[in-house]
Amino acid sequence: MTNQESIWKRLIVSRSLSIFVVFIVLIVLFTVFSPQGRFLDPENLKVLLAYGSEFSIIALGAGFLMVTGEFDLSVGSILVFCSFAFLKFFGLHLNLFVVLALTIGVGALLGLLNAMITVKGQIPSFVATLGTMMLWRGLTLWFSGGEQQACDVSSSPAFVSFLNGNLGNFFPIQAMWFIVFGIILGVILHLTRLGNWIYSTGDNADAARAMGIRTDIVKMLSFMVVGILCAFVAGIQISRVSCFTARTGEGWELKAVAACVVGGTSLRGGIGNMSGIFLGAFTISMIENGLVVLRIPYFWTYVVFGLVIIFSVLSSMYIERQKWAQK
Amino acid sequence: MEYENRQNDDIVRMVNIEKWFGRVYALRGVDFHLKRGETVGLLGDNGAGKSTLIKILSGYHVADKGDIYFDGKKVVIRSPRDARRLGIETVYQEQALAPNLSISRNIFMGREPVKGFGIMDKKLMDEESMQALQNLGLRLRSPDLPVVTLSGGERQGVAIARAIHFKAKCVILDEPTVALSVKEVNEVLEFIREIQREGISSIFITHNLYHVYEIAERFVVMARGKKMTDVLKEDVTLDDLSELVIKSALVE
Repeated sequence: MTNQESIWKRLIVSRSLSIFVVFIVLIVLFTVFSPQGRFLDPENLKVLLAYGSEFSIIALGAGFLMVTGEFDLSVGSILVFCSFAFLKFFGLHLNLFVVLALTIGVGALLGLLNAMITVKGQIPSFVATLGTMMLWRGLTLWFSGGEQQACDVSSSPAFVSFLNGNLGNFFPIQAMWFIVFGIILGVILHLTRLGNWIYSTGDNADAARAMGIRTDIVKMLSFMVVGILCAFVAGIQISRVSCFTARTGEGWELKAVAACVVGGTSLRGGIGNMSGIFLGAFTISMIENGLVVLRIPYFWTYVVFGLVIIFSVLSSMYIERQKWAQK
Repeated sequence: MEYENRQNDDIVRMVNIEKWFGRVYALRGVDFHLKRGETVGLLGDNGAGKSTLIKILSGYHVADKGDIYFDGKKVVIRSPRDARRLGIETVYQEQALAPNLSISRNIFMGREPVKGFGIMDKKLMDEESMQALQNLGLRLRSPDLPVVTLSGGERQGVAIARAIHFKAKCVILDEPTVALSVKEVNEVLEFIREIQREGISSIFITHNLYHVYEIAERFVVMARGKKMTDVLKEDVTLDDLSELVIKSALVE
């Protein structure tokens, strides 16, 4: 078997194949059925890439964490808490990049806290982050009074173009960040030793520990990656809408899980890859956008999410079984 | 004088080890030693304390009392990391390998060679993995195969190849032949002979006297947290050994 053949074969039988098929089919469907082909209209693609990337970036982190065998249900709440933190730091009249850096620090701390509760308290992360999900959302609502508050960042054009600008005249910078984070996390997961520790921790934590891997630290780092990405997205959102909204990120936690699962990540950890998670995240964002363009009422979105999740997981299971049957 | 000599020969010496789990007195002053290059069969019924003893050596539990000497020096083993650093490698049924990871990622788990910036040297990992398996007489198609696709015997082979490749000084084989077919058992026993040829000491824990009798040079029988018997292979037949295990389980 030549090397090229084996790469091709691996691509064909990989778990991300099913999400790739779903992705292509959805593009075709949206293109064909949207009035005047509006789905592929540059203006719509711009909207999809700019808005969709906010969720997609967070889903990347959720998938990265899921490979270690842990969940984070608090992503939406970390996002809103970081938005509020951004607002407060903004009120101190600091340089906006400093404000962003401080916000990212807050995000990392919230991620670390999730990790401490999970790892030190030996509580399933599903429960730990369910708790922090309610905690941070609740505290943010309390502090903010649940109201929108202006946060006008237009005074710093450099900051706005850093998080909400365009590359060239067309390509939204949010999508560039999505790709950049996808590549960074992909390199970490697939090529570095930390990546091997992450996979080992998720696949068989006992073996990883026996081989001297500090699984607690691996999990802490992964939870912090999620927190950092949430904080970064908080910055992106505020630079786009110039205000703090107390309801931002609601429902994202389960959408993020959906994106990862659709992308071939195992809920039990140890299985998954960045390209699958990337496509899964993008697909979830695309469904929301596509249904709007098709003028289908919003509540259908969840019907489509449901069908896509079930179909892609079933088909990846099927592919998996075929793959082992061949060996 | 003779005793002194024996001490210098030991790679592992555990002296007067005691362990409590809450109110359960799991180990009651156990002495255990393992010579360089020696294979010892550790026998006993369930709950006899053999797993606890071994888990103290491999760093999963810490003894409440007693000393451990490794390679002639007194050591403190607080974690699997500590044990591994000394050269104690465990080959457990369920705890040794990550099933969905590739063979080479498993062999180098926790000891991945890097090219810089933390990037793994995959080519080196693949080549050395295949070499290590071949030295053991195991020919597998590709280092990229996930371990879950291998047979039970091949999996033990991967774990043993890893121990040999990283020049372990003491390999703990915890029930390595349980739930394997006859053919696979023979394969695994062959792997263990390779460990012996490499001059590596090993502790073979099992319920199956037939498997261990073929291969070990000395047998230690435990019951109720105590060492009952410590006997060289030339001094016992398989039947004697079987009787010893049963008797010590029934005493009291």
